[in-house]
Amino acid sequence: MREDFEPRIIGFLCNWCSYAGADAAGTSRLSYPSNIRVVRVMCSGRVSPELVLRAFREGADGVLVLGCHIGDCHYTDGNHRTAKRIPILRKLLSYVGIEPERLRLEWVSSSEAQRFAQVVSEFTETVRQLGPLEKGGEV
Amino acid sequence: MVDRLTLLRGAVQQALETNELDGVLALRADHNGTVPHLFRTGDDLSGLALWPKYPLTRTLDLLLSAQPGARLGIVARGCDERSLIEMAKRNQVDLERVTLIGLACTAEEAAACRCARPYPTKIAVGERVEGVEDTITSEHARLSLAERAGFWQRQFAKCFKCYGCRNVCPQCFCEECALEEDLWVERGVLAPPFPMFHLIRAMHTVGKCVGCRECELACPADIPLTILYSLLRRDVEEMFGYVPGASLEDRPPLVVSGVPEGWA
Repeated sequence: MREDFEPRIIGFLCNWCSYAGADAAGTSRLSYPSNIRVVRVMCSGRVSPELVLRAFREGADGVLVLGCHIGDCHYTDGNHRTAKRIPILRKLLSYVGIEPERLRLEWVSSSEAQRFAQVVSEFTETVRQLGPLEKGGEV
Repeated sequence: MVDRLTLLRGAVQQALETNELDGVLALRADHNGTVPHLFRTGDDLSGLALWPKYPLTRTLDLLLSAQPGARLGIVARGCDERSLIEMAKRNQVDLERVTLIGLACTAEEAAACRCARPYPTKIAVGERVEGVEDTITSEHARLSLAERAGFWQRQFAKCFKCYGCRNVCPQCFCEECALEEDLWVERGVLAPPFPMFHLIRAMHTVGKCVGCRECELACPADIPLTILYSLLRRDVEEMFGYVPGASLEDRPPLVVSGVPEGWA
C-alpha cells in the first residue's frame, strides 16, 4: 500500500451510546486517528444500506457503524436490525468484489471511551492496509 | 399420457365449477408468447398456455384490490406459491380469497430457471421433478474478489435503468421506492461506476426474494441478477434459518426484533 495513503472513513454513531462514547474519548483526551468523519444518527438501526452505499459512492474507503450493545438500545430493538443487516451487506459487498472489511459494525457504550478509540484505530489501520476503494469506472 | 395443458384445462374448469370462484388467473397464448388472463365460468379454455412463465402474482394483487369481494383462483408454480406467501406476510394479498391450482414444472423448465424447488406444496397438474443445482451461482462464489469486481462491473455497465427488474418483481410493492430517490440513485446517469441501483435492490429483496427469476427474464441487458440474490438467500438461511416462501409463519429476519443466540 502507498505510504502516504490516508483512508477516508465515515462513522455512523448512535446518539445514545456510541456518540457519547466518542464524546467521552474526547473529554478523556484519548487520541485516535482523525481519518474518521462522524455522522450522528439517532439509532444504529437508522443506518440503512443506502446510507452505507452512498458513503462508499461519495469516496469513503471504509464505513464504521457503531451502536449500543444488544440489550441496551434506547429503542429496545433498533440495533437488532443493524446486527442482522450489516453482516448481510458485508456479504453483498464481497459478492461484487468489495472487501467486506471496509464495513464494520461494533457496539460501543457511552462509558467505553477507550474502546471507541481502539475500534477507530484498528479500523483505520485495516482500511489503510486495504488501500483506496477501487470503484471501477473503465470496463 | 395426457399432456399438462389438457390436465390444466380440466383443473381450471373444475376449480371454476366447484369453488364458486369469480375467475381463475392463468396464462393465455398470445403472439408466440403468453399474457395473463382471467378465465371465467363458461369461457373457452382452449387458449390456456403454460410457457413462457410470467408472474401472475402481480396481476392477482391488482385484481383483488380492484374487486374487494372477488374470490379468485390462480395457476401457481412453486415460485408463484412462494411469492404469494411472502406477499401475504406483508399484507399484499389475502390468501383467504385465493385458491391455488398448483402446477409442477417440467425438468426442462426447472433447468431453465436453475430452480431448486420447481413445484408447489400441493400439485394439481404435472409431475414433481427434482430441483436443479444452481451451478452458475456456486461457480461465482468460487471467484476471487478481483474477478467478482470485474464480472459485475461488466454486467452493471450494461444496465440502462429500465426498472424492468423492479417492475416485474412480485416482492417489489413499496409505494415509494428508494430506487426512484435522487439521494440514492442518480437520475439520468447510466451505469455509474458505483452500482447503487443494483446493490440497493439486492438489499431490499433480502428475506423476500424467492428466486422466481422473473427479474432476470425481464432484463433486456441479460444481467444475471439472480446470482446475487441466490447468494444472499443462502446467507439468510445460514445465518437466520430463514427460507423465503417456505412458510406463512416464519418471520422475515431483517425486519423483526431479536438476534440469533450468541450474537449479543
